[in-house]
Amino acid sequence: MSTIRRFRAMDMFNFNNVNLDLFTETYDISFYLSYLAQWPDLFTIAESADGSSMGYMMGKVEGRGKDWHGHVTALTVAPECRRLGLGRGLMDSLEEASEKTYDCYFVDLFVRPSNKVAIAMYENFGYVLYREVLEYYMTDGVMPTENAHDMRKALARDVDKKSLVTNRRIVTPAETHF
Amino acid sequence: MEQIQLRVVFGTYHISAVDEPALDCGNMNQAIAECQKILRKKPNHLSAQALMSFAMARAGRIDEAERISRSVLNTAGSLKSPYVVEGLSLAFRTLGLLDEEIAVYTGALEFQPNDIKLNTKLFMVASRNSMYKEQHQAAVGLSKITKQDKHMWWVIASLMLQAKYSKLDPASQRLQMTLAERMSEKALVDGKLKTVEELRIYLDVLEMQDKHSAMADVLFTDGALSEKITNDPDLVTQRIGLLVKSHEYDKAIEAAIGTLDVRENWLGYKHYIAATVAKLGLAIKDLNAKPDSSELVPEALPIVEVTCATLNRWAQIRGRARGAKLALVELAAALGAAGHSDIARMTLSGLGDQIWEYVDQFQAKAICYKDIMPYFVVAIVEPASKRINQEVLDFHRNQLDRRIDIACESAAQSEDLAQSWVNLEKIRYLLQALSDDVNPESWVLGVDRLLQYGLDSSQAQMKQASCSDIVLIAGQRLIQASFIGFSETSQHPQLHAGLFSALCVLEAGIKQNDGSFLLKLYAIRIYLFLSCYERARAIYDSLNIKNIQFDTLGFLINGHGTSLGCYVQDLELCYEGVGFYDSSGGRISRGLESSYNNETYSNITDFIEFRDNLKNSLQRKCTHRCALRGEAFEPGSQAEIVAKWVEANADAIGHTDEAQEEALHDNRDVNVMSLLTPVDMPKWNLEILTRPAPLPGTAWIAVYSIIPQIMHHIATANVEDVEALSKKLLIVAEDAGDSLSRQDHLLVRGVRQVAALYARAVDGSQSFDEQLSDLVGTVTEALTAETPDADSPETLSEMASTTIRNATVATEIYIYACSVRYILNKQKSPSTKAVTLAISQLRKSSLAKISALRSLMNNHMRASIDKNWVTSTAMFAVPAKFMQNKRRAIVDSVAKSCFSGWSRSVKNLVQLWEQWS
Repeated sequence: MSTIRRFRAMDMFNFNNVNLDLFTETYDISFYLSYLAQWPDLFTIAESADGSSMGYMMGKVEGRGKDWHGHVTALTVAPECRRLGLGRGLMDSLEEASEKTYDCYFVDLFVRPSNKVAIAMYENFGYVLYREVLEYYMTDGVMPTENAHDMRKALARDVDKKSLVTNRRIVTPAETHF
Repeated sequence: MEQIQLRVVFGTYHISAVDEPALDCGNMNQAIAECQKILRKKPNHLSAQALMSFAMARAGRIDEAERISRSVLNTAGSLKSPYVVEGLSLAFRTLGLLDEEIAVYTGALEFQPNDIKLNTKLFMVASRNSMYKEQHQAAVGLSKITKQDKHMWWVIASLMLQAKYSKLDPASQRLQMTLAERMSEKALVDGKLKTVEELRIYLDVLEMQDKHSAMADVLFTDGALSEKITNDPDLVTQRIGLLVKSHEYDKAIEAAIGTLDVRENWLGYKHYIAATVAKLGLAIKDLNAKPDSSELVPEALPIVEVTCATLNRWAQIRGRARGAKLALVELAAALGAAGHSDIARMTLSGLGDQIWEYVDQFQAKAICYKDIMPYFVVAIVEPASKRINQEVLDFHRNQLDRRIDIACESAAQSEDLAQSWVNLEKIRYLLQALSDDVNPESWVLGVDRLLQYGLDSSQAQMKQASCSDIVLIAGQRLIQASFIGFSETSQHPQLHAGLFSALCVLEAGIKQNDGSFLLKLYAIRIYLFLSCYERARAIYDSLNIKNIQFDTLGFLINGHGTSLGCYVQDLELCYEGVGFYDSSGGRISRGLESSYNNETYSNITDFIEFRDNLKNSLQRKCTHRCALRGEAFEPGSQAEIVAKWVEANADAIGHTDEAQEEALHDNRDVNVMSLLTPVDMPKWNLEILTRPAPLPGTAWIAVYSIIPQIMHHIATANVEDVEALSKKLLIVAEDAGDSLSRQDHLLVRGVRQVAALYARAVDGSQSFDEQLSDLVGTVTEALTAETPDADSPETLSEMASTTIRNATVATEIYIYACSVRYILNKQKSPSTKAVTLAISQLRKSSLAKISALRSLMNNHMRASIDKNWVTSTAMFAVPAKFMQNKRRAIVDSVAKSCFSGWSRSVKNLVQLWEQWS
């Protein structure tokens, strides 16, 4: 059983069971701290009954005007904690904060097209493919390896779901900056 | 790399506020040249001087930078210029001269007292450096100038931090807190408390004074803030907890139900149960006061029954069963802990039944064991006496026995059923540990069927997750049996053979599932235990290690290479660790600044605590000492090495005093390394069992702080300090006892002899034969005296546990002795000749011994592994046979890894002895 609460810097001493998983990106400390300093309510952790980390989600808000939205930077769940609904719980917390606290129009995320399990999960949460981002993922920040699916979910403020409509289905990474 | 090394050697590594990215880019030499060009034309150009001092500081020209920057600071009127202020502050910050950096801002403020930017910088420099009084003063200044709410909150935060972290007397602390509280309260009344982040600071202020009731009142406030609180799940949960703390149990129960109806949350359940049990306690107390209390229990029962009914209602909701069912287990446990086991039995049929009901329902989930394990401990271990309740233990064993064989037989049918078996196997392991089972054979029992499924079933071919778990359990059982069965020194050959079997199993698991970091972590530990550094390092490199994980895993590897004769490659890793710790302080400080700027005050104390834990951690100290130790063996001339000792900053590497030692944090994430038993059962914990050497702790840090200091004082001919530190080293080592390894004690002895030799030999008028003889004796003793029986399991075991480690220490002592010889020569001591002769003879005889060791290694060790480990002892015959038959290649590869690891270490040692002549 888990408690979803705000992530704290001190949690970084206790998240190896999540981060040592091969598919979880471990960032530089500054990266985590910058999120904590800017969007503390969008960086959440799922903690088990015994206090150990089960997964976490880093998010932010960005954009102007109708592009004002929540963004999922990282969502990860420890291997032994999968299939428990934690992904949904963590996503819910971001969507709720994006909607109620920040009054955003939509939430978006990037995912590798090869990560079929994750795509299916996001579709199940109501996300749709908005566009394809060319050569978004790179090895060591240099060699492009894979495109990204930019997926979106409209929030209550976007009554007509205009944020899901685009004329351009394929864009470059530079065009995704808000 | 070079810069970091220099920083360590010269003791300036504490400059943690340096802006790391800017260090890497920017051509400082060019900047200096540009400044010099300007200064040739205008020698009094203060901005150029300030900038040049900054560039020089960055370029490592410390003395010049300090001289110039001080000169500019002392020049009247220099701080009128914002460019001078900018350059000087950066220079002093880079130089680590905090007082001077502050003097720049305070001096500049004399010219521009209302400059917001300057005041803000003063605030930030104080906040970065934990100067809370100065931070508060700067915040007050800013608040007066700007009248902005933001700066008012900076004042409140500073007051709180001052009360929390400054060494104020209690009266002053209370005064600060009262002031902070009043300011926050006024802000709330005036409508200036608008954000959740500001609210959190206010709550922190109240919490520090234990004003829980007031906290609850604030959280139930009306108005615009109310909606924000409702939208913040953490605050909603905190609100319920505060009601419990304020003994408002009915309100807490109502609030918890309301919240949990919308969304489940374990902390919410915990509060709900705590409130229920507390309410029950009160009700029983009231009933006890009645003249006739015969109806005591029935009258109190509804309190629990209602909670049970609510939890069961939630358990019927799709996706919520797990939380609600675990809450029922928690309720049964909480009732038992409060002395209401009878009520637990009447309402919930007892903790034991609840536990198994939970296991039966959720054993197909990998998380099941983690969820339920603490409750087994609560049920079986009596809290006061810590004794085992045998009756309860037997009950759980019976329950397990009824299930585990069926689960094993069904495992092949589906991954869910296999996962059920995994969970039951974990429970079997836990119950065995709780029962203090010291029969090694019972730990090995059933390993064959684990291996069969984990490595040789169709599920294994499909690489199902349960197979890795099963292999891990098999490996753990073999490790446990090895340590339980053969912990005596005389039994170490069997211990090592058992661990070799476990290693083969773990490697087979890794081969099958390269992504299992747990298998890798366990394998690393055993390889290090067996002195096989190379493969341990290779596995470590394959892990996703970065940043903070140095604290858990990096330090495990750091230093072991040094201990195992792999000086240079390990040094690189040590410096990665040193660099990480050095740069972290600055990064966290930037985060702290960002928090103030973004007005996200909830992180401030968290960031401070995080920075403090990293800075004052066992891991940081150990990593740094490992690096220092390894640096003495870097290739280079003796003159260069001795120059390092001369220039080393003895104060910077000074031993941490006892009070500080106790305050050092151990940041390891032991959860990721523990066995299947809880961490409060260290006897059964893999982290303890497979620790290759005593945990580097405060005694270890003390030893490895004193040794470089002794070498520094030898190099600077300070005999008095050499002798004083040598005595101190002895006291530390004696006090440390078994918390230091045998090799650490051996090194201490050798270094003290090196120190004694120097103290006598440098005089010239005293005989030093005895000291020289002692030193030679220690080195000689540390190296294998005679050619041992190459094929014996004892020799093999010695190789794994002692031979290489001892040879490494002998080498280290010899290298210190070489430095002393060189220093005596430089100091023109008449003793040089005799010392040189003795060291030369020592080198000759030792090289012969190490060469013999190398020859023994190359000619016999591989075969000895095959003979003594691969075939293994009777107890491990079954798993050994399985591995031989099914995974012969893995067994060969593990044997090769052990052999090549030792071989590499011995080769490195030979090179060092040859190099140091």
